[in-house]
Amino acid sequence: MIGTIFDIQKFSTHDGPGIRTTIFFKGCSLECQWCHNPESISKKHEIQIFPHKCIGCMNCIKVCDQLAHTLLNNEKLYNRNLCITCEKCAKNCYADAIVVAGSDITVKEIMDKIKEDESYIKNSKGGITLSGGEPLLQSKFAKEILVQCKEGGFHTAIDTAGNIPFNNFLDVIEHTDLFLYDIKMIDDILHKKHTGVSNKLILENLVKLNKIHKNIYIRIPVIPTINADEQSMYDIAQFIKPLKNIKKIELLPYHHLGISKYESLSIEYLLSNISSPSDELMSILRKIFN
Amino acid sequence: MKESLSYEERISQLRLTKQQHTLEKQRIDGTDGYWDIDDKGIIPKPEGFSFIPESNHENGDFYGYEFSGKNYQRLLETHPVYINKVSALAGGWMHQFMDVRIPKWNPDISYEHLHELQQKYDLIHGIGGAQHFNVDFELGLNLGFQGILKKILIYEKKDNGQHTDFYTAEKNVVMGMLNMITRHVNQARVMAKEEQDLVIKQNLIKMAEVNEALVNRPPKSFHEAVQFIAWYVIFATMYNNSGAGGAIDGYLYPYYEKEKKKGTIDDERAIFLLACLLMKDNQYYEIGGTYADGTNRCNDLSFFMVEAAHRLKIPTSICVRVHKNMNRDLLTLSVKYLFEDKLGTPSFVGHKGMTEGFMKNGYSVELARVRAKTGCHWCSLPGLEYTLNDIVKINFLAIFDVVYKEIINNNPSVEKIWESFEKHLKIAIETIAKGMDFQLDNMYKVLPELVLNLLCHGPIKSGLDMSNGGARYYNLCIDGAALATVADSFSAMKQRIEIDNKLTWGELDKVISNNFENNEVTRLLLKSVPKYGSGNSIADEYANKITKMFTKLVKEKNTPAGHPMIPGLFSWANTIGFGKTIGATPNGRKAKEPISHGANPAAGFIKDGTPTAIANAVANNQCGYGNASPLQLEFDPRMAADEKGIELVSSFIETFCDMGGTLLNINILNKEQILEAHNDPSKHPNLIVRVTGFSAYFASLSKEFRQLVVDRIVEGL
Ligand code: SF4
Ligand code: SF4
Repeated sequence: MIGTIFDIQKFSTHDGPGIRTTIFFKGCSLECQWCHNPESISKKHEIQIFPHKCIGCMNCIKVCDQLAHTLLNNEKLYNRNLCITCEKCAKNCYADAIVVAGSDITVKEIMDKIKEDESYIKNSKGGITLSGGEPLLQSKFAKEILVQCKEGGFHTAIDTAGNIPFNNFLDVIEHTDLFLYDIKMIDDILHKKHTGVSNKLILENLVKLNKIHKNIYIRIPVIPTINADEQSMYDIAQFIKPLKNIKKIELLPYHHLGISKYESLSIEYLLSNISSPSDELMSILRKIFN
Repeated sequence: MKESLSYEERISQLRLTKQQHTLEKQRIDGTDGYWDIDDKGIIPKPEGFSFIPESNHENGDFYGYEFSGKNYQRLLETHPVYINKVSALAGGWMHQFMDVRIPKWNPDISYEHLHELQQKYDLIHGIGGAQHFNVDFELGLNLGFQGILKKILIYEKKDNGQHTDFYTAEKNVVMGMLNMITRHVNQARVMAKEEQDLVIKQNLIKMAEVNEALVNRPPKSFHEAVQFIAWYVIFATMYNNSGAGGAIDGYLYPYYEKEKKKGTIDDERAIFLLACLLMKDNQYYEIGGTYADGTNRCNDLSFFMVEAAHRLKIPTSICVRVHKNMNRDLLTLSVKYLFEDKLGTPSFVGHKGMTEGFMKNGYSVELARVRAKTGCHWCSLPGLEYTLNDIVKINFLAIFDVVYKEIINNNPSVEKIWESFEKHLKIAIETIAKGMDFQLDNMYKVLPELVLNLLCHGPIKSGLDMSNGGARYYNLCIDGAALATVADSFSAMKQRIEIDNKLTWGELDKVISNNFENNEVTRLLLKSVPKYGSGNSIADEYANKITKMFTKLVKEKNTPAGHPMIPGLFSWANTIGFGKTIGATPNGRKAKEPISHGANPAAGFIKDGTPTAIANAVANNQCGYGNASPLQLEFDPRMAADEKGIELVSSFIETFCDMGGTLLNINILNKEQILEAHNDPSKHPNLIVRVTGFSAYFASLSKEFRQLVVDRIVEGL
């Protein structure tokens, strides 16, 4: 079986216990303004352009049948509207100035990658995490990976935003040791504004999941000007209080690391004026969940 | 000064002294004010002190037992006294005995017959190399300086005049040592008399007593034992820059245990004494290993060593031996301080890889277990083994360069280059082997190991220098370098010329000859081929083939005189020099750029250079005979900012060692800070980095060396 991912990160230490290998699925049903992996949102392969790396070899202009790469007044231009993502230019750009986000990969290929780090993963009581994007948009593919991981004795985790039909959870639930469940905010109007979708299904799914799965961590991105305030956190705390299978709550401070990726994908970054929350604020907000 | 100082305050003062010395050295030392070697605790000389040795050669230099012994005795007898009154230990060194020797080899003893091949392959052949083996401190602690002198006299008598030169020289050296210690006793008494602060006064009186005891008998107390080791490392370092640390927690434990039972020492004092020892010299000490019978050597002192280095915060070179039965708390504490202090210490040695590997040379497990870490990247049997560790190197890239030039215009193919590479590597190894035999025949005529001999088991009994038959075992080190550069070059040619047909041999020849001038596209075409370390790549296959072939060639026969050699992969001190003489290479490296380091993949070998990918590559490329192919790793300080991070890094280290990894050096560096320090070293004068086997003040490194550290970090984090 083949799925679409955009990265495999080894020695991942923030996506569940121990040393882990995290598989980043491509495609998401939310469009959070602060997402630091904008290449995760579209399910399709995408061309990313990093002009500072370009050495001006003109290979891309030569190979592109669509004339999407052109030279104007000595400046190399790329027109995304003309591009059919045939990926020829990226293959011929040795400077890594044109890169394809997204690769189609088999379960076996993923398992081979995971096994490279097997000793590190197992000795540290780590495992594998399916993240994204939204891994449960490709729940059948996810399931196959999880089944093989469990057969191989690996601890498994899924990092989900929860905005998918509950049946998709049922595909994987037996084979998943831990869910990392992302919650952004309880206020639905704000949720729609900042992520593009309602949180109704997300919250319903969490309640349902809590009934049938014993090990859930809640993860909350803390974004200044959006939810980095006591009230927003208090609302979340109230919502999850009755849910007995929530074993941990992790607050993740916003950072800017993804901004250059937005440019590379020709996407406008809407949050350019905010900075990371201070350590003091983070500790105040964390206390709300104690 | 305040009425009385706590240990903590005294340690702070020691640290400040060290920083002042370093600043002073940065100002006055060397031609450009930098030195790319271990910070070995040398103290700036007082004005007016100089030492001119007596010569026995027309070139003005001195050679052999008689003049080495006489001159060193005189240096010890005229060397200024150094007492830092807040330290519990006397002594310090200000003059490097070997520095005055130019050239370092006696021109009358010619090895011209080896020159051609040594030059052709740019070999670091080790002839003239000194020390780089390990002493047995147990021997020294049991005998004391007087006992050593007595031993010399006994065996001199038995020798019946066959090795008079040897024994006379050794006597000279011990006499010089006793003189220098005695002068410190006197000076400590004078200072004590004048001292107003009661604690410091008491300290100086105690210092005098301890040193007086050492002049007369073997050490009895913990303090005396530590002072004995301090003197010995000072004498050894000053004589020929020796590393002579080893399993310190084992050596000192009996002295500590006795006093602990009596209640005459507490933890704070023991830690303070060890901190004073670490101030003396940046020696390589191994902690937490096992005794010969396999029982765990980890004890209070193992922890105290880590604690002392943590409190002192100067460059130190402590190494934790990681094994199955180790005390896990020692590993956790070491990782915690490694991240907290960012001093690049401790490093970690893999017991399994080192022990099982060394046994493959035919040694018992008991011996292999105690072959302790004593140098930058190496272990050696205390007092028994002569090794030439870390001073004999083959640059794989130099061999490759010879081969490439021979074949490129001669109907080339990757297969042909590979075959020829093997042929030339073999000749290079044979040349090295002949050079080592030459060294063993002649080194004692140049500079005998007069200081290290004293704490080895054979020399005094036999009248023979460690380098010349006095050792029980000879296992000569031979390290390969540039593994990644060569493996990546093979794979770039294979991929781009023979598989993709994107380039012809003629085109390759042209761009390489022109150093990729105006041809960045072809350079990147070659450079973008998956590199060694990316896993399952052609380059990974080549790296493995090179490691295996090198190991096979080194192990398949001994030197012509019958001495075994042990292969490893290590190159740090030569990483820049080895690259300087070589033109552009097919991996996209430009002319004169440095080679890759040791068994590490090239900087930036994958986009996110993850620790496990590097560790897997290095663990898979161990030569496997007990000499190291170290893993050099950079971590961001945030990695282990909490307990979970510490636990993960500890587990990572254990796994690497379990997979046969031999040595692991970790730098904890903040990318922004290091870049700032690189641009303006004066902004961070006290920033310490682990360069590889040793740690040093970053500001003391030359620009080129700093650049190497920066490249690794920028690509690695
Ligand atoms: S192929 Fe890459 S390096 Fe060459 S011009 Fe296009 S973007 Fe620039
Ligand atoms: S992906 Fe194909 S169509 Fe798009 S710019 Fe590159 S070569 Fe042209």
